[in-house]
Amino acid sequence: MKKLSVVVAGTGQIRDVEIQSGTTAGDILHQLNLGDYLLSKGPNEPFFAAAESVYDKVKDGEKIFASTKAEVGITVCA
Amino acid sequence: MRVRELGSRPAPVSIRELISRVVRGHGPAISVERREIPYWRERGWTYDGTNYTGSYQTPYAAFRGWIEERRSGSNFFLYSPSAQIKRHSHWVCFTPRGSDWYLVHMARRPKDVSSGILTIERLITEAYQK
Repeated sequence: MKKLSVVVAGTGQIRDVEIQSGTTAGDILHQLNLGDYLLSKGPNEPFFAAAESVYDKVKDGEKIFASTKAEVGITVCA
Repeated sequence: MRVRELGSRPAPVSIRELISRVVRGHGPAISVERREIPYWRERGWTYDGTNYTGSYQTPYAAFRGWIEERRSGSNFFLYSPSAQIKRHSHWVCFTPRGSDWYLVHMARRPKDVSSGILTIERLITEAYQK
């Protein structure tokens, strides 16, 4: 088991979770009722895909971010 | 063999402090409360009731920015983008607004300014990593 602190970027609220091996980003977001959000380790790291296992990519006690989906672009370049 | 005491002198301060600490043990732990603040504030942006002012920060570079809040959503501006950003595939999404300010067009608008700042910081990082 690993403990994670999920920071909701918009509010700064911190949600503490405990995850087991194989837990995906989608599992965490679903559990926290953050369906329209994406998880990442910060602005310099890519988003976790919903089906991606987070367990192996985070350290125990690490802080990760949940931010709403956004994309720079216009229709032709998105 | 006989030992003759020639005299005594005080131990150095560092040794005395070390021994003192061992005798005293650890002091009580100080509980540090974590801050629950929005990402924009954590990154030093300020809000005047209408606009946010600050900078998009990455390990590679930081760029001045401001964000205007509209009913239709937030507009994100970036000042004086670098050559690396201009070479990024999303450069076409930057619209000049005069005086070297650029509007960063969002195909999918974030629901809060913090998520928008994170998105633009991620784009800047990508531009420098390529």
